[in-house]
Amino acid sequence: MPLPAVLLSAKRMSAHQFVALTLANLRMIIRDRVLHGVLGVAGVMLVLVPAFSSFSMRQSQEVAISLSLSAISLVLMVLTLLLGTSSIWRDIERRYTASIMTLPVSRVIYLLGKFAAMALFLLICAVILTAAGSLVVLLAATQYPSDLPISWGTIALAVLADLVKYLLLGGIAILLSTVSTSFFLPFFGTLAIYLAGSASQEVFEYVSGQFGQEIPALSLAAIKGTYYLLPNFAAFNFKVHAVYALQVQPGSVVFACIYAATYTGLLLILAAWSFNRRAL
Amino acid sequence: MNPISIEGLTKVYRDKKRRRVTALQGLDLQIEAGEVFGFLGPNGAGKSTTIKTLVGQIQSTAGCAKLFGIAAGDPRARRRIGYLPENPSFYDFLTAKEYLSLVGRCFGMDRSAIERESERVLELVDLHPAAKRKIQGYSKGMVQRLGLAQTLLHDPDLFILDEPMSGLDPLGRALVKQVMIDLRRRGKTIFFSTHVTADVEAVCDRVAVLVGGKLQTVNRVSELLEKGIEGYVIQLPSATAGLWSDFEARPQSDDVCEVFVPRGKFNSFMAIAGREGVEVQLIEPRRRSIEQFFLEIVRRETE
Repeated sequence: MPLPAVLLSAKRMSAHQFVALTLANLRMIIRDRVLHGVLGVAGVMLVLVPAFSSFSMRQSQEVAISLSLSAISLVLMVLTLLLGTSSIWRDIERRYTASIMTLPVSRVIYLLGKFAAMALFLLICAVILTAAGSLVVLLAATQYPSDLPISWGTIALAVLADLVKYLLLGGIAILLSTVSTSFFLPFFGTLAIYLAGSASQEVFEYVSGQFGQEIPALSLAAIKGTYYLLPNFAAFNFKVHAVYALQVQPGSVVFACIYAATYTGLLLILAAWSFNRRAL
Repeated sequence: MNPISIEGLTKVYRDKKRRRVTALQGLDLQIEAGEVFGFLGPNGAGKSTTIKTLVGQIQSTAGCAKLFGIAAGDPRARRRIGYLPENPSFYDFLTAKEYLSLVGRCFGMDRSAIERESERVLELVDLHPAAKRKIQGYSKGMVQRLGLAQTLLHDPDLFILDEPMSGLDPLGRALVKQVMIDLRRRGKTIFFSTHVTADVEAVCDRVAVLVGGKLQTVNRVSELLEKGIEGYVIQLPSATAGLWSDFEARPQSDDVCEVFVPRGKFNSFMAIAGREGVEVQLIEPRRRSIEQFFLEIVRRETE
């Protein structure tokens, strides 16, 4: 067979393997009872939103949007943590890798299949939860009409930005999962990075102001270095825009997308490198 | 090009205290097409390390291993092999049919071939009634049989089987042996590790013994069995017992006595029997088993 044909067939085979592994992993996720429980809790949270938003009679619609988006975000975060942190190490521990990785599948394809299944599941959940959240917001808005319009596009954008943020977080979880032999490092490491990454923008702005002049130069450099190294999750927060129907600058959306794609891509490359070196 | 080619393969691990542990030391092995090769060794001998290196699960410290001329770590090298791990564990949230479908797609098989071959191999390993049940409800033996089924699905040229009889009942063991014999008849190459020497005797063409990470010997099973003949147990009418005073003889029943004739004296014994017109009722060779051969090597090496 001439070389280009060999390469083409190898590429086609990798694509087949990627799709097969993604679907198998998606099946695993969909059949997981713990995740059913999490989605059940999400349903209960959304059902309670109209009741809680009615406590604030003047801003019922705004509170309903805020609570719905927060509930969706919380659920997506829990799902990301559960799925991402239990991905690679658990497959090794359960010896699934001893059977799957001995098929003609490269470790990179295997890892990408895991990530893609997680991403697909989060996307499906985001769509379902957004639809349910929209109904809830509509109900609350009908009960106590607001002066502000409901910007459905911005609400969808806020959920989409959250989804992208959690894909990045999932990348971190998978990276830590490739080097770990148990639940602890991936789970607590990812959680710690999430908390730090969510607060880093505020800390950076704080030390960049007047307070920063009182900090020793070395500490300041360390704080700023950490800020640039950690993922900046504040870049994906469009919740306020959605709640108050504010216009989102296209530049910030484009920046968030490029930032997430680059960061997640780097994380996956690192994860693949680490997983390639690991003895199974 | 040999299905398996191993040259100077060495694997050194670091234990928890960062000490070096040599699991495999300069292993050289060539497995030829169409042969059934048994890989014998006690626990910790390096059998699984060798197999894991062959299927790309671990990287060697030195030396190289190739499958059909392709470096063992390369996923392309695994396209022509069927591998059954020791105590296999499969995606247990899938059914056997779903799992075989995943395996088939990873080997680039089309949908109709996967469907057809899945039916065939599930039938072969007697798993057809459980094909649509989730693997998590399977017994150990059923998982092992599914493991064998997934190695057969894409009709590979080389089978690498790590303890294939482990966890199987006598029926399952007989099934695996039969499958291996059929594969040999079809010209397939089989490389399998085992503790059970009787399995080696039953199906192997050649056997290697590995102890302490070092290859001790590679032999043809037929030669070992032939070389291992110590003598013959011969049954004769008891009335002739007086003729065999030079041999170890004992009565077997009222009519039959049994004589043990050392290998070197067989011809002279037969000459006497012919001359005296004695009716020989049964001749059975008494041989050292592969197990004795294996134990001697292990004992020698550990001493």
